[in-house]
Amino acid sequence: MIKVLKAGLETSIQDYPGRYGYWNQGFPPSGPMDSWSFRLANVLVGNLPGAAGLECQFLGPTLSFDADAVIAVTGADMRPALDGEPFPMWQSVAVRAGQTLALGAARVGGRAYIAVAGAFANEEKLGSRSTFNKAGVGGIDGHSIKAGQELPVAEGGGTPGLLVPNEHRPDIRTDRSWTIEVCAGPNDDWIDEAGKERFLNSAWTLSAKSDRTGFRLEGPEWTFTEKAYKKPKEHGSLPSNIIDQGYPMGAINLAGQTPIILVNDGPSMGGFINPYTVPSAAFWKLGQAKPGERLHFRLVSVAEAQHLAKEIAKRCVRENLVNA
Amino acid sequence: MIYEQPKFLPAGDRYLLIEFGNEMNLELNFMAQGLAAAAAAANIKGVIETAPCFASLLVHYEPTLIGYDDVVREFFRLSASLGSSEDIELESRLFYLPTHYLDPWTKACVDDYCAKIARKVPDPELLVQENGLEDVNHLVRLHSSSEYWVASLGFWPGLPFLMALDPRARLTAPKYNPPRTHTPEGAIGLGGAANSIYPVATPGGYQIFARTPVPIWDATGKRSAFEGSLCLFRPGDRIKFVPVTREDYDAAEEAVKEERYEYTIVEYQKFVVRNYNNWVSKVGEASNARVSA
Repeated sequence: MIKVLKAGLETSIQDYPGRYGYWNQGFPPSGPMDSWSFRLANVLVGNLPGAAGLECQFLGPTLSFDADAVIAVTGADMRPALDGEPFPMWQSVAVRAGQTLALGAARVGGRAYIAVAGAFANEEKLGSRSTFNKAGVGGIDGHSIKAGQELPVAEGGGTPGLLVPNEHRPDIRTDRSWTIEVCAGPNDDWIDEAGKERFLNSAWTLSAKSDRTGFRLEGPEWTFTEKAYKKPKEHGSLPSNIIDQGYPMGAINLAGQTPIILVNDGPSMGGFINPYTVPSAAFWKLGQAKPGERLHFRLVSVAEAQHLAKEIAKRCVRENLVNA
Repeated sequence: MIYEQPKFLPAGDRYLLIEFGNEMNLELNFMAQGLAAAAAAANIKGVIETAPCFASLLVHYEPTLIGYDDVVREFFRLSASLGSSEDIELESRLFYLPTHYLDPWTKACVDDYCAKIARKVPDPELLVQENGLEDVNHLVRLHSSSEYWVASLGFWPGLPFLMALDPRARLTAPKYNPPRTHTPEGAIGLGGAANSIYPVATPGGYQIFARTPVPIWDATGKRSAFEGSLCLFRPGDRIKFVPVTREDYDAAEEAVKEERYEYTIVEYQKFVVRNYNNWVSKVGEASNARVSA
């Protein structure tokens, strides 16, 4: 059992890849936004890469352990401390019963991950332990963790003293600027050439009005092809309106003139076009980007995006760990 | 327009969107649901799930198990094997939902919106105006006369997008501008040509005029009618709104609270598109007469 002393800003139990199979009833996958850091945290403590761990957003929690455990902290640097002493990141570490782990505000990156050997053992909902905070599904009582709660942990072994070498960690930017891969489609033919060029060549600012359902972007105007204007009226009156359609996770969803990247807890369908889609391999960057930071988009093919995801998965394996 | 061949549109590294046309009609949704059912039956390795919408089907696949070109090929083959949409037959459950039309809760919600956000014609009266009906009682008779088709679920988990199966009961309405910040749980509404039921209290933009006391969303996942899911409906289900009095509404609400409410669900029927189309052409003239009036 792990006791929550302070919850942090939005600390939630997630597993990877999350809640699959219910998209046709409107359930998003949820799961960790930076699944690269998340999987490495699990691998460090001897769990399966997708086992349930904690995602800490911007401001981390304070947790006290009522039993000995092997844990690891990865992702954003929230200056973790164990009983007040600096706690090493990207390593498996033994903590003793009675010790307290405290994470602060993110100094570099946006989201930190905490894995514990054995993994969190909250009840599965629709096949996943992931938290879908907005609808109150999964996690503990459906929501992010709260002070005073006790988080159940399954029995686990885990070897302390393992380390993820630098070359296998995501390169979390310190210059507040990110290059995010995008694939064209499904509705790229609604945007004219000038609009496409503007999208790919502009710096977009991540808005503070962003959360695990969507990342709002601020930037230049969009312009459209004839298709956006000459359409049956049931599509709706705005150029970016389309007959309600399924949304892929990662869709760059154009609500009027405001692009919103639909992320892990996003809607399954709706009536706006998605000219581009952020592939899964770029999601870790979204997870580590903070409001106010700059996003640039780089067009890649579907095959290239799939290759990038495979390369990340190859890094998240036990064989890559070294002794600390 | 219904496309001659479905359009296959890539959507990132793990999704594919299949478009059947660019208008809103039931035919396109039957194609989307027919293809979803065929894909589920074919159990293609690497295809994780599909989600039908009005005129399209989203496919979610695992690229380490199946490549994009192969997903397209498999779904192209499946859609060709479906033949004409006339030949589609779908498992379809029918839900009878007790419904209190012109109820005090949606009325209070609309009054509140008019007082605080923007003045507008009250929703039932607006529907009467927009659709050339006699009065609100006519609205209730017409709205409750049809079965409704669950075309898809989304926006909120379990929120059904419904289309009236009886062409004579097809109503249209503009959406709220700006949207409401609040809608009572169980409210029944209409926007564009789509109907819906609000599973929980959420913001909304549909015109509202009725309410059901019966949950269609259950975070505990323990109600037997939900069959292990957290939401009552699946695409391809049908719903019949049964007008009830305030007394019957209260009694049903009480039964829900005491966990003794029994859902009325008919599970032995199949929805046969050919039969449906035959029936629509029989009743179609009446509907055309009304639309042109």
